[in-house]
Amino acid sequence: MRAKFLMLVVATVLVFAACSSGSTSPAPSSGGGGGSSPGATEPATSPGGSAAPSGSAASGTLDPASVSGSVVISGWRSSPEEGEALTQTLLGFPAVYPNIHVDYQPIAGDYPTVMVTKISSHEPPDLFYVNADYTPEWIAQGFLLPLDDYIAKLGIDTSQFFDGYLSIFKGKDGKIYGLPKDGNTIALASNTDIVATAPTTMDQLVTTAQGLVGKNGLKAPMCLNPSLDRGLAFIYAQGGSLLNADKTAEAIDTDASKAAVQWYLDLFKNGLGMTAAQLGDGWCGDALGKGHVAMIFEGGWLDPAMVGTYPKVKYAWSEMPTGSSGKPVTLSFTVSYSIGTDSANKDQAAVLLDYLTGKEGMTTWTEGGVALPSRKDVAAPAGKDVLVKGSDYAQPGSGFMPGYVDVQKAFQDAFTAQVTKKTYDAGPVVTATAAAITKALAQ
Amino acid sequence: MASTARGASPDLRRARRSEALAGYAMIALPLFLFLVLQIGTVFYAVWISLWRWNVRSGPELFKGLGNYATALADPVFQRAVQNTIYYAVVWVPLTMAIGLFLAIIVNQKVRGQAFFRGAYYLPAIASSAAITVLWIFIVAPDGLFNSVRAVLPFDPLMTLFGYGPNQDWMGDETTALDSVIILNAWTTSATFMLFYLASLQSISGTVYEAAAIDGANAWQTFTKITFPLLRPGHYFVATVAVIGALQLFDQVAIAGGSAGAPNNALMTVVLYLYNAAFTQFNFGYAAAVGVILFVVIFAATLVQRRLFGGAPSW
Repeated sequence: MRAKFLMLVVATVLVFAACSSGSTSPAPSSGGGGGSSPGATEPATSPGGSAAPSGSAASGTLDPASVSGSVVISGWRSSPEEGEALTQTLLGFPAVYPNIHVDYQPIAGDYPTVMVTKISSHEPPDLFYVNADYTPEWIAQGFLLPLDDYIAKLGIDTSQFFDGYLSIFKGKDGKIYGLPKDGNTIALASNTDIVATAPTTMDQLVTTAQGLVGKNGLKAPMCLNPSLDRGLAFIYAQGGSLLNADKTAEAIDTDASKAAVQWYLDLFKNGLGMTAAQLGDGWCGDALGKGHVAMIFEGGWLDPAMVGTYPKVKYAWSEMPTGSSGKPVTLSFTVSYSIGTDSANKDQAAVLLDYLTGKEGMTTWTEGGVALPSRKDVAAPAGKDVLVKGSDYAQPGSGFMPGYVDVQKAFQDAFTAQVTKKTYDAGPVVTATAAAITKALAQ
Repeated sequence: MASTARGASPDLRRARRSEALAGYAMIALPLFLFLVLQIGTVFYAVWISLWRWNVRSGPELFKGLGNYATALADPVFQRAVQNTIYYAVVWVPLTMAIGLFLAIIVNQKVRGQAFFRGAYYLPAIASSAAITVLWIFIVAPDGLFNSVRAVLPFDPLMTLFGYGPNQDWMGDETTALDSVIILNAWTTSATFMLFYLASLQSISGTVYEAAAIDGANAWQTFTKITFPLLRPGHYFVATVAVIGALQLFDQVAIAGGSAGAPNNALMTVVLYLYNAAFTQFNFGYAAAVGVILFVVIFAATLVQRRLFGGAPSW
């Protein structure tokens, strides 16, 4: 009796399953009428057979004017200004390529997580932002399309990109998986009412800071970030490094690197610097704006924040102070435009990529004031000369090795512990960071 | 009842059978969805956990129980488990006690009863992300909490324990998790109050009348009658609380980022899982962590069933 019932239940379930799959399957295809989901519907409409990337690969060149259809572009939107700047840039695209319809779909929330779910369901946008932070992992996971074919076919001159930016998006196989859409570098921002002449060397930096202790109502002379995001610049400036020359082993546990970490810790020890948390601020920009400190190390993102929130504070940019190596050193951060391995409209995406990272598109984009150009042939936006100058010699601040997020975490945890416990010993910081690097390289 | 069914006429039996069939037919679709979306995904996660799994292309290398061994040996995972257990052990009883206390208060027939019920429930309505951000501001070094405590008499005591006037409650390794515990006790106790209130109102008034006639005082009434009769309420609240505690994620992710800063003080099992999946793209490994968590929650629920399950006894 019970077995019969069970069979009946199973049979009913199967019938329902069949019904439900039969009734829902037509829905998605009919839902494309709004024109907002071209991923599945548009490739068939593009004439000339250029929609299939394999077909065009054989031809050797790709005439962008012959490409038509639509393309979905996605990225995060860190501020209304960023959305506005991108919209302005995209408005210039139809004038050049009227046959390609651009659909801008910014992603709200946790960008990498949302993107990974889209990629896992084989439905990534056609063109999208990839932050340097996770670029090595995304390349290794096969999320991104190598662009070398398109670079050749569209005749893109990659030598126009600053090397510190472009190098991030080169895989271990030497192929290029993204073109830097823009960049940013770190420089010294100092309150000009308090610091008359900005220091140019690290020794001067210390002297200047010593002269400011307890003056002008400052909580500390400098706001310092207890992480490699800034600390690495000072490590490089004193001849240290995280990795050896061929990037196969850690190099933080060396005399030069260790001394540099100790130098950075001593700034805290001697009361010359405090973290934003110690100052009671959200980040160092707030500390400068509120007059808690006189010198900070930030990038171009400081400008809109200062203009918007602390318009009365006068400050100026100057290059990072040089260390024992004597050469100017700074860190750069960048984001690429990349095409997904499973993107539906690759040709259209490549044409848009060429436009956005080209001279014309990037000029409009960087005039929006959000970021610096990643190309040498695009003029520096007003007031950004110092930061753009850094692009020339900057070393990557992230994305230059796999698993760098874990390395940063190891450094920051150990460093913060030294500052909190007031022990200021570089030893444990170096040991923890070295272990994290070794582990990351082994994976 | 059973004997009448067995002795029923064939007609009646047929009618009963068709009634049962109709019932099964009606639950068939939800049951199917439940099996596929709930049970099916659990088995799929177990399958994924045995592989090195690429999120885009699927299985890459069979690892057997390798992912489980790696997880159990990882000091960060151990720290995550430690934090999660500490959180559950402290937060669950604390929040249950506050919830019960509030429920008893608002269960009294006092003037403005509806207002108090609403007022106590208010924090539960706010989104956890918004209230966490608010909390971060309150316990910041120059936040409301430190400013208020500076003028209160217990401030010297706190200073004596090493918490200076600018104590960074969320940024200090030793106080970060406790700050999250207090935050969640505040926001969640109201929900537990609601559960307890429903339970309290199911207790018949006659029991209290009998106790009053026997001369029981308020404390005796609470310990001998109310508390034991709330057993089904305790079971429900404790189960929900422990499951919620073991799945702690959003508050720690907002307060400490995906790194569980400072120094893994806010690293929980789910945050660890999230990192494994979405920053290291180690989906097989993340699935293994998820399966471990599933087993722990399942076991904890069974234990609670043993402790609090069953009908109230009196």
